Amino acid sequence: MAAPVHTEATPAAIEMDPVEYTLRKRLPRKLPKRRNDVYVNMKTDFRAQLARCQKLLEGGGHREICVHGLGLAINRAINIALQLQASSQGALQLAANTSTVELVDDLEPDDPDEAREPMTRTRNNSAIHIKVFYPDPQ
Amino acid sequence: MSTAKVKMREKKMRNQPVSVQFPSGGRAPGDGTEPPLFWLVFGGLNAASSPAGIFMTVPFAKARAAEVSAMLKAVTKTTASCHVFEALPKHMRRRAMSHNTKRLQASRKARRRHGNLLLEFNRRQRKNIWLETHIWHAKRFHMVKKWGYCLGDRPTYKCYRPCFRAMSSHCLLQDLSYYCCIELQGEEEQLLSSLSQLTSKEAGPTFAAGLSLSGRRQGSLVVYRAGRYPSLPLGPVTFLWRPRAQGSGLRQLWIWAHPTMKKDLLPELQSVCQCCEAVLPPVVPVMTPAEVVPTQEPEPEKTPEATPVTGTKRKQPCGDATGPPAKKILGDGTRSPTTPVTWRSSSTGIVINDLTMEIVRYRLIGPQSHSVLAETLEAATDCDVRTMTLPSSLWWPEHCKDESKMTLHIQQADLYHILKGVYSTGELPSGTVLGLTVDDPRLTIPPKKLKAMPCVKQAQGHVRSATISFSDIPVSKSRDECVCRQQELNRMRSQVLVPGSRLSPTPLQGRVPVLLVHQPGKQVGHEMSSWGAGWDLLLPKGWGMAFWVPLVYRGVRIAGLKMSLKHSQSKGTPHFPHDYPDCPAGAGFQEEQEGELLDKFKRRPPAKRTNYIKHGCLAPFRCPWQQLAEEWELISGEGGEGRKGDGAAMEEQMTSRGEITPQRHVTVLRSRKSLRLLSGWCRPTTSKGQRPCRVGEVPPLDRSAAAPFLAAHGMTLAWARLSLLSKGKPELHAMVSVPTAEDLQLLSRGPGSNGPQEPPHRDHFKSRTKKKKKKTTTSKSSKTEVKESDPPSAFEPNSSTSGDLVLGVWPDPLPSVTSHCSRLTLGWVTQGDFSLSAGCGEALGFVSVAGLLHTLLNQPREHRGTLLLRNPTSLHYRFAKINIEV
Repeated sequence: MAAPVHTEATPAAIEMDPVEYTLRKRLPRKLPKRRNDVYVNMKTDFRAQLARCQKLLEGGGHREICVHGLGLAINRAINIALQLQASSQGALQLAANTSTVELVDDLEPDDPDEAREPMTRTRNNSAIHIKVFYPDPQ
Repeated sequence: MSTAKVKMREKKMRNQPVSVQFPSGGRAPGDGTEPPLFWLVFGGLNAASSPAGIFMTVPFAKARAAEVSAMLKAVTKTTASCHVFEALPKHMRRRAMSHNTKRLQASRKARRRHGNLLLEFNRRQRKNIWLETHIWHAKRFHMVKKWGYCLGDRPTYKCYRPCFRAMSSHCLLQDLSYYCCIELQGEEEQLLSSLSQLTSKEAGPTFAAGLSLSGRRQGSLVVYRAGRYPSLPLGPVTFLWRPRAQGSGLRQLWIWAHPTMKKDLLPELQSVCQCCEAVLPPVVPVMTPAEVVPTQEPEPEKTPEATPVTGTKRKQPCGDATGPPAKKILGDGTRSPTTPVTWRSSSTGIVINDLTMEIVRYRLIGPQSHSVLAETLEAATDCDVRTMTLPSSLWWPEHCKDESKMTLHIQQADLYHILKGVYSTGELPSGTVLGLTVDDPRLTIPPKKLKAMPCVKQAQGHVRSATISFSDIPVSKSRDECVCRQQELNRMRSQVLVPGSRLSPTPLQGRVPVLLVHQPGKQVGHEMSSWGAGWDLLLPKGWGMAFWVPLVYRGVRIAGLKMSLKHSQSKGTPHFPHDYPDCPAGAGFQEEQEGELLDKFKRRPPAKRTNYIKHGCLAPFRCPWQQLAEEWELISGEGGEGRKGDGAAMEEQMTSRGEITPQRHVTVLRSRKSLRLLSGWCRPTTSKGQRPCRVGEVPPLDRSAAAPFLAAHGMTLAWARLSLLSKGKPELHAMVSVPTAEDLQLLSRGPGSNGPQEPPHRDHFKSRTKKKKKKTTTSKSSKTEVKESDPPSAFEPNSSTSGDLVLGVWPDPLPSVTSHCSRLTLGWVTQGDFSLSAGCGEALGFVSVAGLLHTLLNQPREHRGTLLLRNPTSLHYRFAKINIEV
């Protein structure tokens, strides 16, 4: 297996030419998904994602939901959670957790002449997991 | 008298008493000229020897009694004894028999008897080979006969959206066993040097790419005729190197190709490897297709036995002579039975093996496909020590004795367990190959169909790169003889204490070496990456149904050919042979498609047909790519003349190249570097064209940058994806057109603006078609008269083509395809539909590179890459954004 080249360790070593390599990002690792997990992305409309969360809390009968956001979507996840809280007139509470997610990119050499080993690049990205819940009555 | 009449007469006379004689002479009795029977009765009085006036009662009655009995006999027996048909009772008569009496049907009971059923199946798959899952499919699918196989086209139930849902959230299963595998064996350097003639580094990784050469990944590429890149492509293949064995330079390569491409690929491979000596089989089987010979010795190389289809007609184990004759199918869909399948080269030492129909290939598409696999397949359990000591004819106990093989097996099983913890198939490195030996999946089949769900352990990191050498799939070995019969398993299942639990102990023959090959999902473009990723499951032949049913019981959807087209459409990749117009198979497909569409069109009543001439659609059933590219090269050449020096140099270049190859064929642009450049110039955006995507550094588009590009790729087509900006659903062979400056102003007015309209065209051929029709009904006249009466027009069709005028379609010598409509035509759509993943109409097709560059150069920067799309049956242009995805 190719020794993965770490960005942090040797920035000069992977000074790569975009012409010679094709960068393919692998999908981030997903966590198991329950019904009340919402993964926020930047492609879907914001209002649609907010409505989905509201539906889960009100119509879906869930006491708590988890809103996950990765990278660029962290902002949006926070935004959704705060909007939910504001629209519930203080009935909902938030508990935020952050984490770091390891992402893998594959670098495929375009020049097939060199039978060199393929490179993978590991980088880290931040993620946020916000629990939105109705507090217990007591 | 003719012989038939004589025969008829004989038949009639057979039951007559000797005393009654009809006069011969070809006339039937009773037609007025001959005395009828009653005349004989009474006139006989005179002829009787008795004296006149005396009536002898007894002899008279005797004579009449004989006649009466003859009459009765004649009446009760059916006269037309030549028709077996009529002898049958009414409920057993069949219409087919009245045509051919020999088609007397046996009773249903007899027909459904196992042996007879097998014979019938053998007869029916003589022309088009059945896959192992044929019967399963035939019960549920619309079957089509294609490429020498019987394949499932689409299920009989509604499936379009469920199948898409399965692809994007669960798992979709498909039988791809019709793909042909060609095996090459030889020294690595020899193989690589031979194969390098077929490929080019420009078009991406070749056979020599480091990753695939090590056997860790599956590679894919487009193969060309030897040394003819980029003009003569053959088609796409995927290939798999077997990992290097210790201390041996011999390598083994499997090349998978589509059956329509195999007939071109195989001779090409033979010529580059100089393999022309056919290796004759040790026992040449001399068999006509009619005879069914139960051959027990395994020689699948020569006479590939089509393997049994269902559990009930599973192949007999060796030595079972009492059963019905083993199925024997000679040849397969792509070759005749007597041709050799192995070729050897004396100079290079390369051996080519045709392994068509030797390996079963199932494709699982979707993020949960590995969960389905993980639930279905279990790594093979070891033999217990007792059986290991005994010598065995089966392969697994022997395999267990080998220490090194067992460690490999344990490694493979460990890696397989790690894979189980992955949530989505797209998280894995694309093209990973994993070999494994598994237990017979029928042992763990659940009693009820259920949906396989992932079981994820939190603590796992990424699976970096699987580095497991694959265990060999037993090809041309006798291992597949040991497929356990379904009947046997059912018996075992009935004796299990807890119903539905795992069958144990595992029968000794219940281990199968399989190969799992990861299929990359959507790799091009910026959105939905890894969509539609999945696994291919390769099995030795004969095990097809044993794996199919357990997979189905894990809640997967099954798809046919139609859905695989949709799969590649959503992935944005060209589908073979539909989207390879420059390959021989693709060209053949286009012709075939044109014929089919034209026949369908002609079946409509003329008044109900779309008049494509009035719609300004020149070629609704085909795409004249060659003409398009030639015309665009002319147009762009004229544009270049305005520039000084530069244009002249290009002209010169063109002419010089023209001398070398006078007839240049249109090809598809596959050079990665050029495609990337072109893609950057098109201003790539997200699917609906809202947001621009980040791209790497691209030299700015101007005439100086475009000129060398045009010179190199003037006669090429580029594969492009077009997404509609507003509503609309693109259809097959929709036209891609260039918007005018006014159209672009229309677009900038607002997002909801509709596209421009094409003014309706006039059909000059209509009167001629009608006239011709009238003429054929009344009398034939000379065609010159027709010509004279025609209104004078620029497109004077010659008299030969006016013979096959079809109302509503342009006759053959087409006028200029680019400038026929009010907007210049750039290309055509080959796959178009509403895209469920993007939520808008999306089309895939080819555009002329020269035309595209010409268009982009003339467009303002903010509208670059905005084109028009018009369906063949519509006059309405719709705005679309072009994206060339690399």
